[in-house]
Amino acid sequence: MTFNPGIDVPDELSRLSLGQDTPPRIRDAPELNSTGTIPVDITEKFKKASSALQPGEIVKDEFFTLFESVGALEIMDPKMDSGCVKAGDEFEELYDVSKPLLPEEVLGIIDQLLCHEMSWHLGYPLSQTVFTSVYVEALMMPNPTHIDEAMFVRRGNTQANAEPMLQVLRAYCLGMLKACAYVNERVKSEHYYEEEDFVTNTYNRTLLGSLSTADIRAELNSALNLVQKQQEHMGGDMVEALSSRLKLRDIFLSAAECPQFVAQPDLARQPWEAALMLLPTIKATHNLSKAVDESFSVKLQRKLASTVPPRPIVKLSFENAFGHLDRLFKDGCELINVLSYTNSQCLQTFLRHFQAKKPQPLVYVRTLLQTFLFDAMEMLGGMSIRMIMDDDLAIISLPASPYLDRANDDIEVLHDPRFIIAQQMEAFRKRAAEPFLDIFRTFCQNRCRVRRTLCHNIERWDQLQADAEQLDLELQVRAQEVKLAGQKFSPNTIPVEGDAWSLSMWTYLYKLRQMEWIVQLGFELEVYQPDELAGMYWYLSYLSKTRIEYVPRLRKTLTERVKELRESPAQNRRDPAMERQMLRTLEWIRLSLLDAVITWGLSEALAGLYTACSRLDLLTPPPRPYSNDELRYELRMKPFAKIETPGLPTFEQFAAHASQQDVSTEELLVEASKAMTDAKRACESMSKMTPEESFSVGSHDRWLVSIKNTLKSCIATGLAIATVQKAMREDTTGGQLKLTVEVPTPDKTYHECWIVPRIASKST
Amino acid sequence: MDSSEARHYLQGLLNKDLRIHTTDGRMFRGTFMCTDPDTNVVISRTHEYRQPSASQRAAAAQNSTGTSVTLDMTSRFLGLVVVPGEHIVKMEVEQFASQMRHSTAIV
Repeated sequence: MTFNPGIDVPDELSRLSLGQDTPPRIRDAPELNSTGTIPVDITEKFKKASSALQPGEIVKDEFFTLFESVGALEIMDPKMDSGCVKAGDEFEELYDVSKPLLPEEVLGIIDQLLCHEMSWHLGYPLSQTVFTSVYVEALMMPNPTHIDEAMFVRRGNTQANAEPMLQVLRAYCLGMLKACAYVNERVKSEHYYEEEDFVTNTYNRTLLGSLSTADIRAELNSALNLVQKQQEHMGGDMVEALSSRLKLRDIFLSAAECPQFVAQPDLARQPWEAALMLLPTIKATHNLSKAVDESFSVKLQRKLASTVPPRPIVKLSFENAFGHLDRLFKDGCELINVLSYTNSQCLQTFLRHFQAKKPQPLVYVRTLLQTFLFDAMEMLGGMSIRMIMDDDLAIISLPASPYLDRANDDIEVLHDPRFIIAQQMEAFRKRAAEPFLDIFRTFCQNRCRVRRTLCHNIERWDQLQADAEQLDLELQVRAQEVKLAGQKFSPNTIPVEGDAWSLSMWTYLYKLRQMEWIVQLGFELEVYQPDELAGMYWYLSYLSKTRIEYVPRLRKTLTERVKELRESPAQNRRDPAMERQMLRTLEWIRLSLLDAVITWGLSEALAGLYTACSRLDLLTPPPRPYSNDELRYELRMKPFAKIETPGLPTFEQFAAHASQQDVSTEELLVEASKAMTDAKRACESMSKMTPEESFSVGSHDRWLVSIKNTLKSCIATGLAIATVQKAMREDTTGGQLKLTVEVPTPDKTYHECWIVPRIASKST
Repeated sequence: MDSSEARHYLQGLLNKDLRIHTTDGRMFRGTFMCTDPDTNVVISRTHEYRQPSASQRAAAAQNSTGTSVTLDMTSRFLGLVVVPGEHIVKMEVEQFASQMRHSTAIV
């Protein structure tokens, strides 16, 4: 696994455009017949010398470690050495690329290539997928410098190239390889994890780097014309099958070029929608095809500059591959919505829900998302990071605040408190920008990485909170000075509260949310064993309870302000935008509270339910000879151990809360049921919210589905609790309850974050 | 050759470029890193060179007009490899022509 640098390097550095136009470094094989060096035969002497060594003794360069040598390819070992030719076997793949093909065979090869292309998108290397095609190899080697050189047959029987079916296949291959080049460049230019997500290695091939896209488009067009002319020979269905595939290649190229329309979402969306129109035809005509397995060979790996052993050709069924292709374009289409910016909270809602899709969008779509978000130090193709941050601060804790007033920037008197406020806010932005942007960046990664990176992020947010508290104090002093000196902030702001901890509040809320996400992702990623669920849901409820207690701080003062504003005479009314900002913050507080109530209620209910199950011996922990509860607690809580507030409970506190020894099982279930009802009510009122109220403009449908699934989880939890309660009431013997408890995997639940156990009566 | 002399000789070859010919007719050129009593040789930054295949030769012969054809060996980069002693048929060390006049220490 190679770590992709850049995610930790300051963004400016990784986005420098230096050297991006240089072609990839190619290690040219040294000239053998150079006059400067002379090979001298040492076979006998070397063998004699090495056999004179003591058994077990080695001679090696002092900087060469045996650890490195483990990675060496063993020559002549058929498992390791892709160049090893078995006795009686041919080195070359003897398939003849000039032989005439039937239309159904061309269709077959095209569909096989499509499967390979999608396998590559799924994370397999080119060497096991696209590069196993003899036709692809013929086009790419030697590297064509001109479109006329990219022919299947370059020497000898060149008239075979004029064969119409081969021309169609050639145009398709050219379009496909160029699309692969675009995809590869896109992925390489963004943060991704080699081997985990994607393999960008091209084995020294340039993927038609010297051919222009316009030339390839022209080839696709002429092939399309050629197909239309063959109508009589092939029949309408076949013409449609081949043309739809050629068109798809052309559209794919346009889709890959869509980042140029970052400011015109409608144009950017066009190719993705066009592809979705074509896909049904492609699927329906697949049955006309006839696969040509001989035109793919693992032997081609012998020609690739590769430091890995030979590996088999990846086999992905057409149905499967087509499903991924369909998903690629659907996700791409949805992705364009991100370009319509409403506010920073809507953007985050979009990101979270788009990335939580199951299955997760393909790595290419995720890297496109990163390009849209961060390309050229501008978000979404034209917004500065300050704009996004100020927008976010205004929503959460500083509505219509003088701190964010751009008029402060114009003050040039050095000792003017407003000047100092502008400076201090800038200092805060500088410090907070990285952790803040990292939330966006993090959500573009694969799910495991999201959780892992969040664990690192919260530490930085913790430090930021200390800085923010300091700045809050200083800002309060300055704001007082402004008042005392009789100066005024811009009239479109509301006066500053004496004890408004605006910056630290903003920071704290973000930190809490991220801590909750880490625990929730833990459920989604199956980090915890069934018997640990009670404890982890308790911890989640502890976190969300902290949030519930914290959010309303701002609410009271804001409500009063809004009231004042409304009651003041019309002539005193100031900018309506100011009132809008305050109302927006109130909406956000309401949403945030409801969300925290759901998280608290449902996690409390599940914690109680799981505790009851383990007390009733319905869940038995797996044998763990080398572990105990305390060690495991330490391990699970490692990400939170360094966080100052909210402090991590000690193991004793945790164990007491999770087991609730002093509460009877009946009471426990009653409490759980109450908590579940609270969560359910909150879900119901959330599901009635408009996109604006729920800060989900642009992703409202997906957001709503998530809320409805949470609601279903609530209902299922309620049923599970009732089943246990009923069984306890009916049980008169005091023995083992006649219940079965099944803890489902996250993909079998209504919502990945909520692992609701399936409890049923034992049928005897 | 006693073992200390052998060690000295082999150490002198370290980090020199070797050409190792194997039983299947391929040649590997890389920097000598390590060897053992069975003459297993580890070379780094290795390129593989292969004689043109029969079909390539036939194609070249067909296209040429003269009586003889010249074909380059095909090569590709492999990185770090170990060549087992049993497959080695010939080993060569590359020496600079300019230095050979002055030194005979290696051979």
